[in-house]
Amino acid sequence: MGSAKTIVCACEDVTLEELRKAFARGHRDLESLKRYTGLGTGPCQGNSCLAPAARELLRLGATPAEARPFTARPPADPVTLSLLASIEPASLPIQMTATVEPPAAPGSTPRPGGSPPPRANVVIVGGGIMGLALAYNLARLGVNGVVVIERGYLNAGASGRNGGGVRTQWSTPTMIRLAKRSIELCRSFAVEMGVNVWMRQGGYLFLAATPAQVARLEKNLRVHEANGLRTRLLAPEEVLEIAPDLDRTRFLAAAFNPDDGVVFPWPFLWGYAAQAQARGATVLTFTRVTGFEKTGRRIAAVLTDQGRIACEVVVNAAGAWSKEVANLAGVPLPNRPLRHEILATEPTRAWLDPLVSVLEDGLYFSQTQRGEIVGGLADPAEPEGIAMGSSLRFLARFARAITACAPRTGSLRVVRQWAGCYDVTPDNNPILGPAGFENFLQLSGFVGHGFMMAPAVTELMAAWMAGGPKDPILERFTADRFPRGEVAHEDFIIG
Amino acid sequence: MPRLADPRFAPDCTIEVDGRPLAARAGETIAVALLAAGRRVIARSAKYHRPRGAFCLAGSCHACLARVDGVPNQRTCLIACRPGLRVQSQNAFPTARNDLLGAIDAIYAHGLDHHHLAIWNRYANRAAVALARRLSGLGELADQPPPPSPTATEEYFDALVIGAGPAGLGAAEALARRGRRVLLAEADGKLGGSLRCALSQKGDPPLTLAGEVADGVAAAGGEAAPALTAVGLWMEQDRPLVAFRVETGVPRLRIVRAEHCVLATGTVALPPLFPRNDLPGIFASRGLARTLAEDGVVPGESALVLGQGLEARALTDRLSQAGMRARLEPCAAGALGKARLKAVVLAGGERVACDTLACAGPRAPASSLARLSGAAVQLDPASGGFRACVEKGGETGVPGVLAAGEVTGPMSAGEALERGRRAGETAARG
Repeated sequence: MGSAKTIVCACEDVTLEELRKAFARGHRDLESLKRYTGLGTGPCQGNSCLAPAARELLRLGATPAEARPFTARPPADPVTLSLLASIEPASLPIQMTATVEPPAAPGSTPRPGGSPPPRANVVIVGGGIMGLALAYNLARLGVNGVVVIERGYLNAGASGRNGGGVRTQWSTPTMIRLAKRSIELCRSFAVEMGVNVWMRQGGYLFLAATPAQVARLEKNLRVHEANGLRTRLLAPEEVLEIAPDLDRTRFLAAAFNPDDGVVFPWPFLWGYAAQAQARGATVLTFTRVTGFEKTGRRIAAVLTDQGRIACEVVVNAAGAWSKEVANLAGVPLPNRPLRHEILATEPTRAWLDPLVSVLEDGLYFSQTQRGEIVGGLADPAEPEGIAMGSSLRFLARFARAITACAPRTGSLRVVRQWAGCYDVTPDNNPILGPAGFENFLQLSGFVGHGFMMAPAVTELMAAWMAGGPKDPILERFTADRFPRGEVAHEDFIIG
Repeated sequence: MPRLADPRFAPDCTIEVDGRPLAARAGETIAVALLAAGRRVIARSAKYHRPRGAFCLAGSCHACLARVDGVPNQRTCLIACRPGLRVQSQNAFPTARNDLLGAIDAIYAHGLDHHHLAIWNRYANRAAVALARRLSGLGELADQPPPPSPTATEEYFDALVIGAGPAGLGAAEALARRGRRVLLAEADGKLGGSLRCALSQKGDPPLTLAGEVADGVAAAGGEAAPALTAVGLWMEQDRPLVAFRVETGVPRLRIVRAEHCVLATGTVALPPLFPRNDLPGIFASRGLARTLAEDGVVPGESALVLGQGLEARALTDRLSQAGMRARLEPCAAGALGKARLKAVVLAGGERVACDTLACAGPRAPASSLARLSGAAVQLDPASGGFRACVEKGGETGVPGVLAAGEVTGPMSAGEALERGRRAGETAARG
């Protein structure tokens, strides 16, 4: 006889016992529970599991705010990429959106993850991967009194909305050095941090369709070789050995690095948060920064909707909200938030090893550990601003691009689309170190690759903050490089 | 006696299931044909390889997925049988009934915590990640890319009504009567929604209403379209835009803009919440009732109907009339069986042998389109589902988006019809 499990989500085989354990671990609201257990992420989109999960949450003592439904994501019924590719995207406006998270009524946000302490040493604004990894690295180096403030649930921002790609193939030695270290840390993350991140090094394939694009890859290849990367330039036949389903007529050559790969983003945040907390740091979810108290050239305290925290150092790690947070302190930043849309298909058996990135149109896609195809495509018409809604236009554009690149994907059905915000800087490089006030440190501007950079960058930043050596990146990527004009543009950005 | 002795329900074609022929009636769904043939297990589940079979029989739960004509993860409860259709069970080795990987379920009887699987050293972890990837994913990617679809059409209607149950019929009727050009879209192959279950109560509208409304809609220049599924709703400034998939003939999309959209999406069935609640043989009451009424398929020999109220009682009577031993119970504590339901354990511990469990408990409002539009929803404590919040005239508060019927909370078919009419009138006035 099969085991006596009570199944809450039949698509993903989530049991009632797992749901209860996740709740006991602090994943109390439905958004967090969905991410931790996987319930509602299968083809039925939560049709059968949302209600029993909400009912059980109330029984376990959740507040009505915690039992609010997770955000509905289009499509409402799975639809094939082939059908979506039949839509003419040009007639669809970019502003056409669904699933903007409804504004929370006052007092109806879920219970915060604790009360703010009156005093802290370091307050980190933003509980994305940057903030949490920094908190972990500081705590590991013995820095006491580290507090992370997150306005939503863990994974609510770009750290929980990205495609999970990690790559070494960059165009500057600095980025390559950081990326190599990050991949090393990703490889050992599960064992060191106690949670699986499903790191799979299937490589990145950058497809070039024109001689100019090939020349760009060749130029990068020389940088890669000089920096000890295993990147190779492949002819179409060699590419098809790695990814047989690509349309041979669509590219002239491709750059491939076997050490690049994909991870499952969410557990990084749980792992960093748990290990930071185990070393004495505090992580406050559902807590919003409302302002800063300033004395002369220093910030004296961080004001939140849950109370005031006096502190020695403030770190702005708010991702796409960095500019908004800096504005609260009266500090102007050149960062611009820019929405990027992404989608996931139904899962199928493993058939695609590398992450595929198309230089021609900015398409990228890979197959996750669970078998879904996850991918995105930047829209040149996207206006600046924080927006998290999803558009039908994106579905049509993405479907056209991926079915042209890999025709067999046409039969795959899209089960979910969503969006996140890039935090864009004028030269596509981050902003690190003080800005405006001597104790107001920036850790922002990662332009869609913050997730893969965070493990390495936060290690260097924490070492310096704890009194250790100052890495050259902290001298180079300062906020005042823009007025001084000392910028080196990173041109190898995808999505 | 799997089919009622009525020539209308006699098998008239043969489909192929896992390489073997299976008698079916052209037009009935694959899930219904399998039910009539006594075959309950269709596939195995994603992680634990637990037996999976049809539950809702209405396209909502995705428990009945199979590979159909070379395309993976198809809902067998939505695809009509035709001669030569090829169905293959998924995610099982060697067969769905006897799947060796079902051992995963027994070994991890208390659940497999994948977050903390094999994290004790790097080598074990890498091996676990590689093995998990081999086992993950449902079907194999389709053998061939699908033929290109005809370009999606862009259309405009005065109003859209999504769902042709009693509320949707009421709304479409009111709109057509006021001369509005309306698209009444029903995902299923026939109009009528819950009226098709033949569980009607006193005061419920008759199923013939569907035909009358369709005629009225056509007379006003609109269209009553069965087999038209709303695959998404997006807001374009202050106007809803809905993408529909045409389910008959060559697959294609219709992109429809309208001044008003009435969501009459009804409810979805919820499985019970007790041990082995996912066993094949456990069905949603309305799906089972409709299968009996329209396809003449009797699900088994002995049924337990779980629930209270008029619908549960009516279904118990129908199943008895169809020759099953049928018993009504208000609640249960568990199910027993290996690959299919053998018995239900009642709250008091009594074991009731049965091959069919019909769940007539609370259903959840099908509010995903309402949520996509940005409409407010409220928790319905009985089901745990989220109902669309509406004003008296069906207004959701989102410009151009209205809702009526069971998506706004439990109500009788008669009441849903009335609320639908009111929403239709609001939309016609607006």
